[in-house]
Amino acid sequence: MTTFQHKRIRDYLFVVFLLGIPCFTTAQSVESKPRKSEIYFPQAPLPRTWRNSLGLVFTTTPPELTEEIRVSVPAIDLNFQRGLTKRLFFAGRFQTQFVQNNLSLGLRWARPITDRLAVSAGYDVSGWGGALKIKDVFSSQAYGLESMPNVSVGYHLKSDLRLTVKSEVILDHYYRSEVGTLAIVRDRSQVNGFALTVVLEQPLYNQRYVSAGFRAAYSNFNWQLWSLYDTFDRNLFYPQLIFAFIL
Amino acid sequence: MKRYCYLVPILFVIAFGGCRKDYEAPLPYTFINSSGSGRFSPAVRQALEGVYVVSDGSTQFGSEVVLKWSYLLEGTDSTHYLSVFTGLDAAYFNLEGSAQTDSLVLNGYWRKLVNADIGLARLVVQAKHNGRLQAFSGNLPAGDTLVIKGLYGAGKNTPSLPLTLQYRRPLNKKPFNIMAHRSGGRTADLLPASENSVAIIKLASRLGATGVEMDVRYTKDGVPVLYHDNTLNLRLIEKSGLTGSLESYTYKQLSALVRLINGEQIPTLEEALEAVVYNTGLKFVWLDTKYVGPMDPIQAIQQKYLQKARQAGRDLNIVIGLPTTDALDSYKALKNKANTPILCELDTAITRNLNAGIWAPRWTLGPQTDEVLAMKAQGRTVYVWTLDEPTFIEEFINQNKFDGILSNYSPVVAFYHYTEQ
Repeated sequence: MTTFQHKRIRDYLFVVFLLGIPCFTTAQSVESKPRKSEIYFPQAPLPRTWRNSLGLVFTTTPPELTEEIRVSVPAIDLNFQRGLTKRLFFAGRFQTQFVQNNLSLGLRWARPITDRLAVSAGYDVSGWGGALKIKDVFSSQAYGLESMPNVSVGYHLKSDLRLTVKSEVILDHYYRSEVGTLAIVRDRSQVNGFALTVVLEQPLYNQRYVSAGFRAAYSNFNWQLWSLYDTFDRNLFYPQLIFAFIL
Repeated sequence: MKRYCYLVPILFVIAFGGCRKDYEAPLPYTFINSSGSGRFSPAVRQALEGVYVVSDGSTQFGSEVVLKWSYLLEGTDSTHYLSVFTGLDAAYFNLEGSAQTDSLVLNGYWRKLVNADIGLARLVVQAKHNGRLQAFSGNLPAGDTLVIKGLYGAGKNTPSLPLTLQYRRPLNKKPFNIMAHRSGGRTADLLPASENSVAIIKLASRLGATGVEMDVRYTKDGVPVLYHDNTLNLRLIEKSGLTGSLESYTYKQLSALVRLINGEQIPTLEEALEAVVYNTGLKFVWLDTKYVGPMDPIQAIQQKYLQKARQAGRDLNIVIGLPTTDALDSYKALKNKANTPILCELDTAITRNLNAGIWAPRWTLGPQTDEVLAMKAQGRTVYVWTLDEPTFIEEFINQNKFDGILSNYSPVVAFYHYTEQ
């Protein structure tokens, strides 16, 4: 994909994102539902209630793959969680760049340790896929399956400020890549890498809460960069900036 | 809140600054590079080339390997090296014959290109006669089999792990061009020489290449040199204080102040082609057009070295690559296009209109069997670039339609080509 195409997609995503913020804000402000103040903090939503966030994730490409070109690849990031019991909740996440998408579904169990400290443990399974059809450049597609056992520790810094540290192991289970009429499959489960996420959740304005943080993934393969056909058997560093409005 | 306002930046620095690991693969072996081939006479060398079954060491290097000789020329002297290409993790061996023993001993190193694994290797060539191993003299009676036994190790440690290779069949003889990217290999693959250097050109054959692709740019004063990136950066060069585009500096400034990441000078195109013609057995050079500007100086150098190669009795083709419409325009602006072999990376219609002898589509378009067969039916050669994924390399070679593959992993292409039956 050319730099120009990257810029166009990034600009488009940014406009969509900006247009969307007031809609969500207005919708929430007229409701009398309980305030929703966390997505990453290890605390289950109330049973049978949803808790969502919408934002962007920027992934910086490692120089080993893109060499002198450092691209910060944006993706729309939707989190949707639903309380199942007082401590168990469903956690879903959808990330999209239109030409490639990732849907993650999982379960988390969270419990408070003290007034300020809480922990959770979970297991997410994510399916990703991408397709590129660009004349004289790409006739390729790929998809795969990963899972991520994870543990989070959260701390109430103040009543309206939460710090969460989440660690994940990234496991690869299935990968299929197609170019034209050729296809290859790798279906051996293996450890792909690990990730550490640090997120602050706090009100930004008008009781609108946001998640802001970063994820440091250290892995052999990153689904967002499948089209670079990384052949290194080395863990590479994929920094991600996260920003989302909690809805 | 103030207590914690420093927390996020600190964690940010730890996470972003502390996680990036620097990979290195320093060579554990220093080659003696003595000219001639010592006890490895032409008959021995010819007998050794082939596909071998791996018994001891197959978990590390796969079940089959390819043994292939290459050489370097210095004037009338030649130095011979044995390479082993494996089907696992893009691993290869570079070995030289030892002159200090009475038997056929090979010393050198092995390396896996997908990671930073590297180590020493010491092997002995023997013949299996009636189930017993004995010294090999170059004469292999019917029924006898070549067996190469020895040890390999990790890093600079003394080799202690057993490796046994037994001859199975000759190499696939079908003509096929194995072209190494960046004049021999990528700096990112931690090779012992920098990409687009004279040193990597001299190493290319030992990595399995039969040809190389070079990235050509002009300096500020119009000297064609080899360099890939748009800017001088620490990925490719040592700290020099110079920044910005290579085109901002004269050749004198670059040669005085800039060294590639392994200490070499940025070579001129002429120095690079001089090495190809007079030091290597490479048969193909693909000049990748990274410059914007007139093509005349490149054409003049191409023709000069095609002439030199002919005079030296070399079977060498040097082609100018046309990857973009800008390059196409530069080519069209040439006053005289005679004796100017080109390779077109654009679509088949443009390739036909130019009457280019070589069409080179991207591998990410797939095998494009119909287009490839149509171009070949018109007498054109078809290469695919830049293909590094080992399983796809195997698939493309098994399809048997292309005339060559450009890759950063020439040892992998060599393995799948020479083992194809």
